[in-house]
Amino acid sequence: MKFIRLIALSLALTCLSFVAHAQGKPAPKDALLYFVWPQNGTTIKGGFWCRFGLRNMGVTHAGDHFANSGHHHLLIDVNEPLNPNEPIAQDKSHLHFGAGQTEARIELPPGKHTLQLVLGDAEHYPFNPPVVSDKITVNIK
Amino acid sequence: MAEIRDIKSGRTGEPPPQPMPRRLAAIVAGDISGYSRLMQIDEEGTHNRVKRIERDLIEPTIVEHHGKLVKTTGDGFIAIFDSPVEAVRCSIVIQQNLVGRNAALPKHHWIEYRIGINLGDVIIETDDVYGDGVNIATRLEGIADPGQVYISGGIYEQIKHKVVCGYESLGDRKVKNITDPVRVYRVLPDPAAFQRSRRRREHILIFLLSFTLLVIAGGLFWYTYWQPRGKGWDQASAPVSSPAELPKAPLLPAPVVKQTAPQSQSAPTGAPAQQQAAPQSQLPPAAKQEAPLPQSASPAAPVAPPTTQLASSVREPAMIPLRAGSFAMGSNEEITEKPVHQITIKPFAIGKFPVSVREWNECAAAKGCAFVAAGKDDAPVTNVSWTDAKQYVAWLAEAARKPYRLPTEAEWEYAARGGTQTKYWWGDQFQSGMANCKNCSDIAATEQPIKVGSFKPNPFGLYDMGGGVDQWVEDCWHKNYQGAPTDGSAWVESRCASHVIRSGSWRNDARYVRPSNRDSYDTDVRYPTHGFRVALSP
Repeated sequence: MKFIRLIALSLALTCLSFVAHAQGKPAPKDALLYFVWPQNGTTIKGGFWCRFGLRNMGVTHAGDHFANSGHHHLLIDVNEPLNPNEPIAQDKSHLHFGAGQTEARIELPPGKHTLQLVLGDAEHYPFNPPVVSDKITVNIK
Repeated sequence: MAEIRDIKSGRTGEPPPQPMPRRLAAIVAGDISGYSRLMQIDEEGTHNRVKRIERDLIEPTIVEHHGKLVKTTGDGFIAIFDSPVEAVRCSIVIQQNLVGRNAALPKHHWIEYRIGINLGDVIIETDDVYGDGVNIATRLEGIADPGQVYISGGIYEQIKHKVVCGYESLGDRKVKNITDPVRVYRVLPDPAAFQRSRRRREHILIFLLSFTLLVIAGGLFWYTYWQPRGKGWDQASAPVSSPAELPKAPLLPAPVVKQTAPQSQSAPTGAPAQQQAAPQSQLPPAAKQEAPLPQSASPAAPVAPPTTQLASSVREPAMIPLRAGSFAMGSNEEITEKPVHQITIKPFAIGKFPVSVREWNECAAAKGCAFVAAGKDDAPVTNVSWTDAKQYVAWLAEAARKPYRLPTEAEWEYAARGGTQTKYWWGDQFQSGMANCKNCSDIAATEQPIKVGSFKPNPFGLYDMGGGVDQWVEDCWHKNYQGAPTDGSAWVESRCASHVIRSGSWRNDARYVRPSNRDSYDTDVRYPTHGFRVALSP
């Protein structure tokens, strides 16, 4: 009985993976993306390790379609609103962590900078609703 | 928390402690696996790294989750939490962060924690906790695998519906010096991993089953379809290539081929080489088609047809040969592009266009590439990782028997500059309509990526060197050119986590079109604007 159930489950899951991937995978309501470090308003000298916290979801490699999991993107000084229907941009102000990294060495020129985390799904689309952190400001000396 | 402080102040206030200050707490015990081995390799380095992990990661994460770090030992720590949920979350955050920290290091330098969590009634003192509950937590930690979090049944009961995780029951375990067996669960931060671990056995079964079916089907197919054609293998060799090419077939009839003569005597050796490329193509029919070829080739002597067959079976990208030269690589526009340094380039050839969907799909059809690309045939292939791009060039080099490869970063910039030293290849001012970048032309986003070669070529006759698709090069990512080679070779280390991308894409603005612009991306990750072009050594 248990075995049959397992087979049914595995078949269902296998089929699931063939379903064409739609944009905006659902995210749990209580998912929380945040900066472990630095905190808002921190003054930092030189480069720093930026650490990403995520609750109620998992971090995985880009391209993996596991439910309730995604990978981090760090937006530096980005003011444009997030477009939920496009993959998260990839450029010098949108850093990708598709290998499942949960921290990164960041080097920024002196001055005030904003940082924000966005969780992306297997295809780099934001979740629905978007899983984003508060936008924090750091001061680089 | 407040309670703990009360206890402490109470204790320091009046020395004779009558009732032991007890409370229920979630105890987290962590320690580094292989600590003494790490210390042996590099004592000071390890010590510093461990201290930094404790300071930067463990302490703040515990505070973040409303816990209290009770003590740290040389290679571990003990923390208590009021809430089991927070204790588990905190442990997951610590483990996930450590993965990131280790990613950049060779395996034998990894600092990996084992973490055990137990719920217990414990005695709390200023700088330590005592009791069965603590011992069980340390025992759980002791049986945990590196990088894992093991929790006791007590914790599991509290968190099972609250923390979105997978939990794998490891049954009741007898642990050292504890009378009753402890129920142990392994925490899988990624719930799908749970199903994976449970389904692994079934998967193997299903895989074996389908593989057997495939083999049988392949055998049948071969038997019914190929057998009746009998021995006319030179006849049959024409269809050999066509099944693969049928989908995108308006190509020249197979026998029409350019440079057959010099290769004719290499035919007998060439065929087995081709076969060596085949193992990737586990598909039984394909393997069987190739097997008879050498047999027929050797008795038939060095006749042209089989050779032309092999040579014509691959569509090689259009290449532009470039002469040797020297140029100033880099710019002062971005820190990543400094310092500007002189490079000498040996002669080589580079793809006139980025590799197209049609070209890529030939590799996919030959099972040399991992996936079939979607999109128009003449659009550049996208959503390829560096590893995918390497697979393509390896397949192409094997199929065409020429040393195809990815360009080096220096070669790419040399080619992109087209002999100029200006900001863009056409001058120092940006001009719209010169490259496929964001807000640089009036192409609708829905039409992207548009077909290769839609914009003007640079002075070397190369298209889309800047804008269009990002292009992988051979080099590992380095944050600037400090220490870069100057002979045009690729700057590589083994197993680098990220590689260089060049050119910028249709989704990047005009700044990214500059030939000196450079960026990086994770080696194994695919992204919808990433493509590549090939290079060829002379």
